[in-house]
Amino acid sequence: MDKMEGSFAVEDMQNVQINIGAIVKEVEEWDQPMGPFPYPSIATLRDWDFKIMNRYKVFYSPICDRCTLCTYGPCDLTGNKRGACGIDQAAQQGRIVLIAVLMGCTAHAAHGRHLYHWCLDKFGDLPFKMGDEILVDAPLTRTIAGIKPKTLKDFGPVLGYVEEQVSQLLACTHTGQEGSYLDFESKALHAGMLDSLGKEVSDLIQIVAYDMPRGDEDAPLVECGMGTLDKNKAILITYGHNLAGSAEAMFYTEDNNLWDKVDIGGVCCTAIDNTRICEGIGHPDKEFNDKYRMVGAKAKIAGAIGWWRKMVRGDCMDCIMVDEQCVWTDAIVDAEKYKVPLIATNEKIMLGLPDRTNDPVDEIVDDLVNFRMPGVVVLDPVKAGEVGVKTAIAVKPKRAEIREADPFLSEEDFKKYAESCTYCHSCQFVCPPHIKIGDVVRAAAEGNYEPLSTTYEICVGCRRCEQVCPQDIPILSLYAYANRDYIRNQKFKMRAGRGPVKDTEIRRVGAPLVLGTIPGVIAIIGCGNYPNGTKECYDIAREFVDRGFIVAATGCMAMDMSLYTDAEGKTIWEQFPGGFDGRNICNIGSCVANAHLHGAGIKVATIFAGRNERANYDDIADYILSKVGACGVAWGAYSQKAASIATGFNRLGVPAVVQSHSVMYRRAFLGRTDKREDWEIIDARDGSKVYCEPAPEHMLYVAESVEECMLMMAKLCIRPSDNNSGRMIKLTHYCDISMKYFGCMPPDWPIYVRHASDLPLKWKEDMMKELESKYGWEIDWKRKAILSGPIRKSDVSFDPTNIERKIRVKK
Amino acid sequence: MAVDTTKNPVPFEMAQIPGPEMAKAYNTAVIGAILKKAKRPLLVVGAELFEDPVMFDKAIEIGKTGVPIAATAHSIKGFVERGYTENVTMIGLHPLTNYLRFKDWQGLDGKGQYDVVIFTGIFYKFASAMFSALKNFNRDIKRVSIDRYYHVNADMTFGNLAFNPDQYHEAVDEVIAKLKA
Ligand code: SF4
Ligand code: SF4
Ligand code: SF4
Repeated sequence: MDKMEGSFAVEDMQNVQINIGAIVKEVEEWDQPMGPFPYPSIATLRDWDFKIMNRYKVFYSPICDRCTLCTYGPCDLTGNKRGACGIDQAAQQGRIVLIAVLMGCTAHAAHGRHLYHWCLDKFGDLPFKMGDEILVDAPLTRTIAGIKPKTLKDFGPVLGYVEEQVSQLLACTHTGQEGSYLDFESKALHAGMLDSLGKEVSDLIQIVAYDMPRGDEDAPLVECGMGTLDKNKAILITYGHNLAGSAEAMFYTEDNNLWDKVDIGGVCCTAIDNTRICEGIGHPDKEFNDKYRMVGAKAKIAGAIGWWRKMVRGDCMDCIMVDEQCVWTDAIVDAEKYKVPLIATNEKIMLGLPDRTNDPVDEIVDDLVNFRMPGVVVLDPVKAGEVGVKTAIAVKPKRAEIREADPFLSEEDFKKYAESCTYCHSCQFVCPPHIKIGDVVRAAAEGNYEPLSTTYEICVGCRRCEQVCPQDIPILSLYAYANRDYIRNQKFKMRAGRGPVKDTEIRRVGAPLVLGTIPGVIAIIGCGNYPNGTKECYDIAREFVDRGFIVAATGCMAMDMSLYTDAEGKTIWEQFPGGFDGRNICNIGSCVANAHLHGAGIKVATIFAGRNERANYDDIADYILSKVGACGVAWGAYSQKAASIATGFNRLGVPAVVQSHSVMYRRAFLGRTDKREDWEIIDARDGSKVYCEPAPEHMLYVAESVEECMLMMAKLCIRPSDNNSGRMIKLTHYCDISMKYFGCMPPDWPIYVRHASDLPLKWKEDMMKELESKYGWEIDWKRKAILSGPIRKSDVSFDPTNIERKIRVKK
Repeated sequence: MAVDTTKNPVPFEMAQIPGPEMAKAYNTAVIGAILKKAKRPLLVVGAELFEDPVMFDKAIEIGKTGVPIAATAHSIKGFVERGYTENVTMIGLHPLTNYLRFKDWQGLDGKGQYDVVIFTGIFYKFASAMFSALKNFNRDIKRVSIDRYYHVNADMTFGNLAFNPDQYHEAVDEVIAKLKA
């Protein structure tokens, strides 16, 4: 049922909270009619995908010109040639993209599947309740599956659906199956959507089971940085994305009053999830609730993935528990070298270690503490948690002894290594951020450690330099040695992940977002690895919070941006409030929590505009594409998960900007402003076709510099639905960022002008002159009005859509 | 003596080995001649120019010979600061390459597709991927690199001169001289 924004009827809102004076009436039952596409299969939303790809051209930049997937190969596909099976280069790229997106999607969904079984085992089937302020409680699940879960068990069929679809999609990548790049991309978009659903399920399960914050803008500030790990205690590092084992280590520590003996620090998303435990509205199990209330705030954030090898060499840990995803696969090699026992706690990562799940805890601990084996597999989270804490405490003094006798790197070693550099530059040929390592090492040999300090944050810890150095210089260890003080002092605060956006927040920002007076939502996702990545995460966030955008972060970028402070020593989390609102910055949570950003978009369509979301994906995506000014950024993401995340955003109509290294993802979606016909949009009021300004211009965009990234994000928040003051605000930011970093106006600003009141006040007069003189627009100078020139006239009641069934009255 | 730009034809990121078709390193005279002969050349410069500002002046010299310049990332700022924006257009490398790969694109000036693109000052991995897009999907455009790196996906490139800035600048000067001759 279609409604104009702002004039929706109350009956459309039965599933949300209705404020009638002081009485708050909650309508429990979800009586929304089933939409057209419950549990969509591969072909169901293909029309929507083709609409996206018709406007946003699939662009490939192959990294490899060959295919080597079957025994006919290797086939040379250079120049879009076809391989023996008939596939051309474009389709082959589409196939690789689909495989990458499926990798990401399965990583998230399998995470959810593990949590599903584990949480049902540990807690039983819990009621699914998101609290009074979140009644549209599982927006992706409702929109895609068409169900409203009531208990954790209801997520079982949803995961089953994702798993079935993934298996169908993976089958399509076999030789002799799909042959069209467009269909590969439609399938990738499908996988991206499934990824968003898998993430939502994962996070909702853990929110309920571990009582994490449900949209709490005042979630606690937690300690973040290597320096926050207390060296007077044993340090247990939990590394990965699945909190099951790590949470048990925290519970064991709490049960046994061991917090004065052990510090638990997380790396990667496990870090974020540790610090969310038991900070919600109260766990339904009262005993559990009483025991562990706020235990999450006792855990620390050791750091994001890019810091991992730096932490190991910085001697920041006594014992490691790894779970799943984003664990560097040589973790065991480092662990053995630096005498840090490692416990693998999840079937996905076992690293060739013996499975000790069924052995007594003390035997396992004894073996680890005496270095009889570098690591073990313990798949029972409770046992793994106990082994982790006990091992960390018992091994700490032993490690201290070893280090005493044989330090990781003495001053002498440092000098000897630095002096052995032959300045051959092999390292620089492989360093992703192009650090001039030869110069850095040479300076160190001359006693100047400054370059080792200034490039420390830029180094992504990949170790490729060490792999190629003919002198076997342990470059990362030189870094750790020279940055001892930095490591000790890396102490910051990060806001714990707050979870989903509340319905009340959506009600507050819905209208200004759709009209454009809040200029957009900036969704900062993934990891921040690359050139100056960590600092640039902060710069991006700061730029947009200052400008009044809604800034929402998830995953490693949230940690990375915590490492910088303003003149008063405050991190961004201390500078700004944590709501989903303009001039706020919220940390939504770990990578799986970024599903709540999709969720926020869906909720604008449902709560603000009264659209039915149930099994109605394309309608909601169409609404978001045309009306919700939002843009994602993954500034230095490395993983296939980032590929699936971005692709999932794109299918829902949210553009994303990524960093230069992300050309490795091979595919982008780019608009052509020279093709007027690509930008034809339907006016849902009467079905008439309107040529629109290209807004948003692109769907997936690689930016070369952070300046370009910021400019593009401001532009990609422009939507056809902006009213005049909204467009004026958005254009002001777009032009202002350009003046600030580019020294000139962006050349395409005129295409976004529909009416004189769209023009930024700051430059209005000059812009009108330019429109007249340079672009030949007709201006009525008396009335300060534009008479002709714009792509289309501004029309407050224009109701843009790309879907024919949304037309209300056919002309 | 001319700089030998044919030495060190090793991908600057060593593992960038795309396949059977890899760039050939040419000397400056040949590259200069190709640029001179081009009917619709386009010089594409990126943000790495800020790390080697003298390259802005050299780009401007090329611009003054009539070769239009696409300033990617925020590199336009360098031209604005030098007061030269005559035939310089600000555009992202990604959309630019997207336009370049379509045969029906009419160019930044609306006068037709380009026949030679010349890259310099662009982050290696990004430039390499964009060369790859053209190599695979629009082979009508000749891909030339005059950057300090051996660019594996170009048609014509220098060998690596990344560790020898003086020689690199000299090589660019030689190309410019040839272009002006
Ligand atoms: S899958 Fe096709 S393109 Fe690839 S190696 Fe086999 S025949 Fe060649
Ligand atoms: S470990 Fe650091 S310095 Fe070495 S190659 Fe990787 S990023 Fe460069
Ligand atoms: S590879 Fe090793 S020896 Fe060569 S420059 Fe780098 S650090 Fe020095």
